[in-house]
Amino acid sequence: METAYTKLKDMLLAVHPLTEEECITFLSIWKPFTAKRKEILTVIGEEERYLYFVEEGVQRVFYMDEQDREATLIFTYAPSFGGVLDALMLQQPSRYFYETLTPSKFLRTTNTELQTMIQSMPNLALLINKGLSNALAGVLERQVELQCFTSEQKFVKLLQRSPHILQLVPHKYLANYLGIDATNFSKLINKIKI
Amino acid sequence: MNSINKSTLLLQLEQRIELQLKTVTSVYQNLTDEVLLKPSSKGGWSIAQCFDHLNSYGDFYLPAIANGLNKAPFSSRNTAFKSTWLGNYFTSLMEPGQKMKKMKAFKNHVPKSNLNPHEVISIFITQLEEFLSLIKAANDKDINTIKIPISLTNLIRLKLGDVFQFILAHNDRHITQAQRNL
Repeated sequence: METAYTKLKDMLLAVHPLTEEECITFLSIWKPFTAKRKEILTVIGEEERYLYFVEEGVQRVFYMDEQDREATLIFTYAPSFGGVLDALMLQQPSRYFYETLTPSKFLRTTNTELQTMIQSMPNLALLINKGLSNALAGVLERQVELQCFTSEQKFVKLLQRSPHILQLVPHKYLANYLGIDATNFSKLINKIKI
Repeated sequence: MNSINKSTLLLQLEQRIELQLKTVTSVYQNLTDEVLLKPSSKGGWSIAQCFDHLNSYGDFYLPAIANGLNKAPFSSRNTAFKSTWLGNYFTSLMEPGQKMKKMKAFKNHVPKSNLNPHEVISIFITQLEEFLSLIKAANDKDINTIKIPISLTNLIRLKLGDVFQFILAHNDRHITQAQRNL
């Protein structure tokens, strides 16, 4: 369990320097949490109560409309933060689901504790600001890929970013994330030597 | 026949599906069409045909089980489950083992020959995910009293707890068979 906290600490310090005391104070509000495969952690229309730090497993944030059409927006896996971040920070009902795609282990903190701590610790507010800016940069970069890249380029880029994801996650979720239909996705599997 | 705590049994079943999902996700979905469609060295089923055969069981049992669960009233978690003799017999018949006897597939369960192999694997994964959610739902139902007709004849109805067990044993049987084609 200690290693999960160490990983979280490393992750935080890579974003923005905190003093040892600030670090320990912030780490104290995180608690271990596990979930099985295909558990919905955040529901559309409900508040996002937690910020997650992923220790194990793969999860996704996805949208679903009235006709059950899905859009997989983000995958999260170790070591990264998880949850529906806009709902969390704006404290508005979530427009997306957050679910596990494989059995998962996390550390998580309640949004209430997080917001209280952000207000009392200016350095933490800076850290969160930088973290969210990085997340925004990631979202914009992906927007470019979605609009400019061919299916094959998107596929290759995904594998560069997450080399093991083909063996970890059912392909239907990857195809949905890339906006490629199942037939074309299987053509890519046939074409590209893993 | 010994009885077992319901939660314990359902947890074991979940873990068994989890292993099956891991195998299919890490290995089978990443194979090429060529490998998935190649008949076995003895001229038997291809890997895709093994999974298509399993899918035909999912097609039958998933709606039947969902229906059985929906109609059943709430039942507490801490109860005992007891297999029937027939349920146990079916499961033991399906379990893969050292001396696996060759069996003939029943009609409606004979795999097709012109298959889209990645679609077949993808359907199998989705079915396993659905079985997981049904097992989750079964925690709050009585898996002794919910009876599911079997695919061969609706004259035979098995306890839901037995149906789950023989389907998962049957999955392992044909995943083992598929493995021999690798």
